[in-house]
Amino acid sequence: MQIDKEESKQTTEDIKICIPGMRISASNKETISGAGTYELDGYIYTYLAGILKSQYDEVKKVNILSIESPKSPSVLPQMGDIATARVIAINSRLVQCQILCVGPTVLARPYRGILKKEDIRDMDKDRIDPYKCFRPGDVILARVLPMTELHAYHLSTAENELGVVIATAEGSPQGVSMVPISWSEMQCPTTLNKEPRKVARVIPETINKEFVFASQPELGKS
Amino acid sequence: MPGPDLLSSQGLRLDGRRPNELRRIRCKLGVFTQPDGSAYLEQGNTKVLAAVYGPHQAAKSKMSTEGVVVNCQYSMATFSTGERKNRPRGDRKSQEMSLHLRQALSSAIKTELYPRSQIDIYIEVLQADGAAFCASVNAATLALIDAGVPLRAYACACTSSVAWRGSQPEPLLDVGHVEEAAGGVCLTVAALPSTGSIALLEMSHRLHMDYFEVVISRAMQGCRDIEVILDKAVREHLAEGWTKQDIVTI
Repeated sequence: MQIDKEESKQTTEDIKICIPGMRISASNKETISGAGTYELDGYIYTYLAGILKSQYDEVKKVNILSIESPKSPSVLPQMGDIATARVIAINSRLVQCQILCVGPTVLARPYRGILKKEDIRDMDKDRIDPYKCFRPGDVILARVLPMTELHAYHLSTAENELGVVIATAEGSPQGVSMVPISWSEMQCPTTLNKEPRKVARVIPETINKEFVFASQPELGKS
Repeated sequence: MPGPDLLSSQGLRLDGRRPNELRRIRCKLGVFTQPDGSAYLEQGNTKVLAAVYGPHQAAKSKMSTEGVVVNCQYSMATFSTGERKNRPRGDRKSQEMSLHLRQALSSAIKTELYPRSQIDIYIEVLQADGAAFCASVNAATLALIDAGVPLRAYACACTSSVAWRGSQPEPLLDVGHVEEAAGGVCLTVAALPSTGSIALLEMSHRLHMDYFEVVISRAMQGCRDIEVILDKAVREHLAEGWTKQDIVTI
């Protein structure tokens, strides 16, 4: 037992392995807690198992202690985040979606999201027809609204940069996504079919197509 | 004071252990690929599998805005006990165990981080040889760590009983099935040993208040011992994972 303890000590010195509930440092002006750690009574404790990382913040002049875990804890959609979602079903009042990514992180499991009719676009709110803005299977960018109902996340595409990013026209082969031709129309490059959509004005830097495909391998493959 | 004869004249127990000795604990993290986290734990002849799914979006009926809902299912395999069971789960005992597990593990999980979410913990007892609940808590802790669920601290559980040497009480650590069946008290403690707080406390029989202190302190010592063992297992598991990934040391 004694020998085993010494062995484990040696490995901890090489790569500082932390386990949940371990006190790693005092919390003061020089060191603050980062990801995977929490503060309690003036000390920093870990809440994940992983390797201890210490990063120096030049601006704030503090050391940030964080834990790098082999399995990063799953994230939840927070109010104000940009979410990537897939449209599942549409009716005349709302659009049901599956939230796939939040910001740059891919969710381990999809969360349900609801896009209400009045949140689709800002202008001309009373003449919005959800059927002319989305189709099932579209990949959209949307902002997460504050939670009011308990069971689903509310989304909004009422910004120029938000809306449909990837969509396939009816009758077109899978994987051929349409090209936006105006803020409300997209066209298929092979069949030249035009379809109405609430198109997102994607600024090339903010959306990387490879990233969207990487999060949905089935879309990228076909 | 009369009681079941649990200690021999040499001061050894029925299975040859000393009063303050744990049974051998062997464990392994990440035994399954399908769940988010899993663990296998052997405590003597008690063998337990644990699987953790989540956190994921909670079912409508279970959802809470305060924090994550911990959903536990404790099930004992039909071949786990001496007499074949006809219901692996859903009977009174299993349901009670599920509730206790939920209480013990909720106190260890940082529930406030995941509102409107749910974590499912499935426990399967493959062989029950006393202290199956303790082995379940310990296995579930390992599975939660494997799943990367934020934990305040380790939740460890241990039982202790009491034997009489003359009129002096001698607390026994980690009660086996034979000692459990012989009658006498069996105190189950689930604790967060690094913070020193107790998550769950249960006692099967009556015990005089004067002797309670020694019995619970022995059980807490057992929890601390178990934490050291689990700690070692987690470190080994992590070190293994990191040598594969070839991470630069700091």
